[in-house]
Amino acid sequence: MKARPFFWAFVTPAALCGFGLAVALAALFQFSLRAYVPGSLEPGGFTLENFAALMKPLYARVFAETVWISGVTAICTLLVGYPVAFALVRTKRRVLKSAILIIVVTPLFLGEVVRTYSWIVVLGNNGFINAVLMKVGLIAQPIQMMFTRFGVIAALVHVTLPIMVIMLAAALAHIDRDFERAAESLGAGPVRTFLTITLPLSAPGIVAGLTTAFAWTFSAFATPQLIGGGQVNMLSNLVYQLGFASFNFPFAASLSVAGLALTFGVLAILRVLSRPLEAIGPH
Amino acid sequence: MSVALVARASLFAAGVCIMLTGPAFAQDKLTISIWGGSWRDLVAATAAKKFKEQTGADVEFVTGGTIDRLNKAKLSRDNPESDITFTTSHVGWLYANDGLYEELDLAKVPNAANLVGQAKISPFHIGTWAYVYTIGYRPDLIKDVTFTSWADLWKPELKGKLAAPDFDPSHLIAVAAMLSGGDAATWQKGEAKLKELKPNFKAFYTNDANSQQLIANGETPVQVILSMNAYYMMGEGVPIKLVIPKEGAVLGIDTIGIMKGSKKVDLAYRFINAVVDPEVQAEIANLKKGSPVVTNAKLAPDVAKLPGVFTTPEQWKEQAIIIDHKLRAEKTAEWRKWFAENIMN
Repeated sequence: MKARPFFWAFVTPAALCGFGLAVALAALFQFSLRAYVPGSLEPGGFTLENFAALMKPLYARVFAETVWISGVTAICTLLVGYPVAFALVRTKRRVLKSAILIIVVTPLFLGEVVRTYSWIVVLGNNGFINAVLMKVGLIAQPIQMMFTRFGVIAALVHVTLPIMVIMLAAALAHIDRDFERAAESLGAGPVRTFLTITLPLSAPGIVAGLTTAFAWTFSAFATPQLIGGGQVNMLSNLVYQLGFASFNFPFAASLSVAGLALTFGVLAILRVLSRPLEAIGPH
Repeated sequence: MSVALVARASLFAAGVCIMLTGPAFAQDKLTISIWGGSWRDLVAATAAKKFKEQTGADVEFVTGGTIDRLNKAKLSRDNPESDITFTTSHVGWLYANDGLYEELDLAKVPNAANLVGQAKISPFHIGTWAYVYTIGYRPDLIKDVTFTSWADLWKPELKGKLAAPDFDPSHLIAVAAMLSGGDAATWQKGEAKLKELKPNFKAFYTNDANSQQLIANGETPVQVILSMNAYYMMGEGVPIKLVIPKEGAVLGIDTIGIMKGSKKVDLAYRFINAVVDPEVQAEIANLKKGSPVVTNAKLAPDVAKLPGVFTTPEQWKEQAIIIDHKLRAEKTAEWRKWFAENIMN
């Protein structure tokens, strides 16, 4: 057997991190099965009441809304991110490449809260978009964008875009250009070449990007909290509203456990659905 | 022994005496858990300064949100990372109920003799400053509605214009109960009334900055707002009118307690005494436009006359709706859950 000199050096920190995560999850799960004692920080005895309380339609609605917003955000991010990633990979001008990269990556250097407050300035009734539209006479009254799903999704797309572009760019960069040249030499135009060669070969990047964007958005908190203003609620907001703001940690834990199970479930479905797509790709 | 030698020995002895009898706590440092930002700066510029003058001891701040700090206190139960904690009155009860606070001996806090009755929250924590949650609105954007009662919030003209805190519904729950003939203890009486308010909500703000932004940009021209935030925004040039409804405004008190297990309890008492010092209290009230919790604080006249700043026993009695702090600590989860399920979602 081939010696692997760095095996343990790499495995040990990973195992320690994994252990820490497992302990935290075990604590979370344990808390979800404990009773809430009003006026006290200490949870009571073991109970299934927290999970029984989740059976109300309200929670199903918020879970469904979270999946819907995460899905739409992932798709919108893909639609916006693909051309950007394509331009980033295919442009030959270094200055342009650097400019695209900087513009794409910059949002990652801003805190989520700062980014979200900026969106309030853009989306508000007296914000940038409404001011411009009213100035040019396209609208007479401001369009309500704050505290709507549209506003939340727009801000989430912005937050998620860097991740999507980086993942798509990695996939696009690995495509062997000879396939495209072969298609062109056989008479395919640029659109046909893109649709029949480039796009299918970038499928692994699309799947990875969609999955990551979905999972990334699923746990979003600050953006729906501030842009949604309590009118558009995702799972994390519900955990905050019902758990942390009211000290009911057992119920917050049960919501988190349910959310975690839902995330795993949705990601598993995504994985199954994307298998044929992934098979098209070169990797 | 020469005169010079005697003089030198005397000087040395005097120096030693000064070192020994000077500020007894000069080498000590008191660790204080408090919210970050303007609250930490406020305490640093007022009480901590006075405390340093009186004891020579320094103050170190550990900052964080209300719940983060509560969790940290719970995790370091027997070896607290802070000696003193500032928190809200009802969360202070959670500290007390969980045995995280020392029982206070107010005989060690001479300035506490002048505390208003409403600031004596529990045997474990006392008030440091007070504020109200009340109706604040933009008169330039809300022109046809007048506010004299909490009931005015239900007016149909305010449809889609109102914001309230998402982290604490207790103000509206207590008010709706009052308007329905109940009180905070019988809050269910106000459930139907509160549901009628739902169409008027445009958003729920998540923190002070969010509240300030939403009223400043006119997104929510009416708010159930923290008086101090309203005054801050007025200072920034935002036209806001603050109303004390005829039923009164909902009182909030931030409090202070000594952490059980603190090794600097004597110093902690000296700090609490500095916080409730009348000069410090006046300074805090003037800076934040809140109410002092001692009767002998002398406020600037233009601050003393502001709505929501209470300086007389009559104001405390007639203009403040006080939700029992212990009840609030026990009911917050229930209220929060009901509010989230029936009003916010």
